[in-house]
Amino acid sequence: MTESLGLVGGALLALALVAYTFWPEKFFAAQRSKSRLDYLLERQQQLDENLRDLNFEFSAGKYPPEDFAAQKAPLENESAKLLAEIELLQKAQG
Amino acid sequence: MAAFGSFALLLALALAAYNLLAGAVALRLIATGQPTVVSPERLAATARRAGIASFYAVTAAAFALVWSVFANDFSLAYIVEHSNRALPDWYKFSALWSGQEGSLLLWAWLLAAYGFVLRLTHKRDVKLYAYAGVILAGIQFFFLLLLCFPASPFALIRGAIPQDGNGLNPLLQYPEMVIHPPLLYLGFVGFSVPFAFALGALMMRYPGEKWIKITRVWTMVTWLFLTCGVFLGMHWAYAVLGWGGYWGWDPVEVASLMPWLTGTAFLHSVMMQEKKGMMKSWNIWLIFSTFLLTLLGTMLTRGGLVSSVHAFAESPIGYWFMAFMVIVLAVCIFTYILQFDHLKNERQVESVISRESAFLFNNLVLIAACLVILWGALYPILSQFVEGAKVTVDAAWYNHVAVPIGLFLLFLAGVGPLLPWRSTSLKSIRRNFVLPCLALWFTALACLALGIQPWHNGGFDEGRFYALIAFALAAGVVTAILSEFVRGASIIARQTGRNCFASTYLLIRRNTRRYGGYIVHLGVVVVVIGFAGSAFNRSAESEMALHDRLLIGPYELENVGATQDSTPNYDTEYAQLDVYENGAKRFQMTPEKRVYLASGQSQTMVAIHSVPVWDLYVVYEGTNPATGQPIIKAFLNPLVSWIWAGVLLMALGTLVALQRSEVREQRAGPAAIEEVKS
Repeated sequence: MTESLGLVGGALLALALVAYTFWPEKFFAAQRSKSRLDYLLERQQQLDENLRDLNFEFSAGKYPPEDFAAQKAPLENESAKLLAEIELLQKAQG
Repeated sequence: MAAFGSFALLLALALAAYNLLAGAVALRLIATGQPTVVSPERLAATARRAGIASFYAVTAAAFALVWSVFANDFSLAYIVEHSNRALPDWYKFSALWSGQEGSLLLWAWLLAAYGFVLRLTHKRDVKLYAYAGVILAGIQFFFLLLLCFPASPFALIRGAIPQDGNGLNPLLQYPEMVIHPPLLYLGFVGFSVPFAFALGALMMRYPGEKWIKITRVWTMVTWLFLTCGVFLGMHWAYAVLGWGGYWGWDPVEVASLMPWLTGTAFLHSVMMQEKKGMMKSWNIWLIFSTFLLTLLGTMLTRGGLVSSVHAFAESPIGYWFMAFMVIVLAVCIFTYILQFDHLKNERQVESVISRESAFLFNNLVLIAACLVILWGALYPILSQFVEGAKVTVDAAWYNHVAVPIGLFLLFLAGVGPLLPWRSTSLKSIRRNFVLPCLALWFTALACLALGIQPWHNGGFDEGRFYALIAFALAAGVVTAILSEFVRGASIIARQTGRNCFASTYLLIRRNTRRYGGYIVHLGVVVVVIGFAGSAFNRSAESEMALHDRLLIGPYELENVGATQDSTPNYDTEYAQLDVYENGAKRFQMTPEKRVYLASGQSQTMVAIHSVPVWDLYVVYEGTNPATGQPIIKAFLNPLVSWIWAGVLLMALGTLVALQRSEVREQRAGPAAIEEVKS
């Protein structure tokens, strides 16, 4: 390929890519800020996962009952607090 | 094509610059909410599209270089230095990454490709992806700057255009070299993505830990590529360099290992953040360090600061990397200080004997290993700076330090999964550790009885001592991991009435991440067993007249002749060796020595006969000029094939972990994405 052909190819490429970049779009994606409720729901999901894992490991005979109870209690307490706040926020949102 | 390639690179540079600047301005405007003529969302959308367009432009440049190689365009200095007319097509393709400029272009193209995928999937979390896209554009801008100015692959040759090129480095004319560098680069470059997400999440004060879930796939895929790249490099070194080993602590090997260690630490500790909201600052710095180490590795080897057998191209771009690293580090420190309060841990480690502690220890040991290796890599530079003479650190030093660290890591790989979160009672320890401990001690005693003893030839043998520990630990860890599978599968079998295989399959499907991780750990154990085999390596060397025999282990090699061959690319000499085992002829091996015509360089091609117990590895070192007889060197390397099998297991485990679990994963749902009219 000669140098001039290469430059013509380059110019065409530039034209196409600039057009692609600045071509006016009808719609574009935007995102609202994450609310406290979104965050709490995420946290709740993670806690549920942790509890499910703990239950499964206990059923598998990995922990004695007293260890299981000691680990489960704080997770359930945290979960209860989260659920209460979630409920409050959901009520406020109507 | 040179003009087209250069133009495409300049265009990519301009588009990356626009992506960086317009994206940064848009994100700033969105964050401050200032009223503007052009909506910031619109500006961000054009920035994202510029990033996508930049990928097309870099692709065009890479295409131009590959085209030039295949067209034998010797007006380009890069093609003259790294190709020739007789070079087979598949090696012509690998000429793209055989030199400095080409490998930088490959780096830029892979980064653009990662960015392309990231920008196309931006609706998963528009804001986080916008931040990550801008940061990636910044990195891309740096590499394109290098390619457009100090390291252009399209630089024209001065003077008359030669009829043929110098050819590809003979060391690179090996099939694995067609896939090893791209895989390694996919790993190296890939760490830019989790880095960009982590820095972006910190800049925007991302609420919660969901960004970790979003980036998990990126991190794991990158880690998989880097793992495969590192081990393929080992296999290449084993099969090509002809010294009988696979890891020589060469600076290039060290450069690839350091980010692998910190990346592995990140993969583990990030689970603590996701599950428990702990180690937030640590994780941020782990991923920052991993990215910086990829740059440092490139600077050390490609920048000519340390010499290596496979730093194929060196140039003054080391200073560019140094400047870029300083900028990246400054941005990281500034952002970290600014957003420090966002990284407050939600809880602390409560007990030394808990899974949290095991993760923490695992991280500390991995970081210690990385620092030790970094010290060894930097020592030649530091010694030259302090004492005026470059002192290199030899493989024995690295082995002396790294082997105990590696064994401790293996120990933690077995202990970690058995410990519960938060704290552990004595009863729980007894319940979980009896079997692995029994396996460990039984194996240790069995090894001693079989003659694997730390004392050898009347003295203490460090290699055999570590091998004994490695075998014993491997047995303990395998038992610990298998007990996890057996326990889980037995519950599922009880609940569903399925057989043990179906239950194990369901168990893995239920929690792919955990059980995939265990499979990776099993792979690591198999690799370590392979490494331990090196304590029992044997070698023999002899000048062999016709029908002379060389004895090594259970094999006897008989020289039955030599032959020669010529191809357009190289001339070669083969030694023909019949291999006898227990007095019977089993197979023939033909190690060769090639002389590449374009470069005039010679290269040995090793013959390897691999069985699970050991590799018979034979090198034809050429002929003795005085006698005209071939010199043959043979090695008997136990358990080497276990290393490659272990890597396959690690790759399989990672692929399993990448699958979505059946019961747990709910797709990360970001704050609502809206289609906004422009």
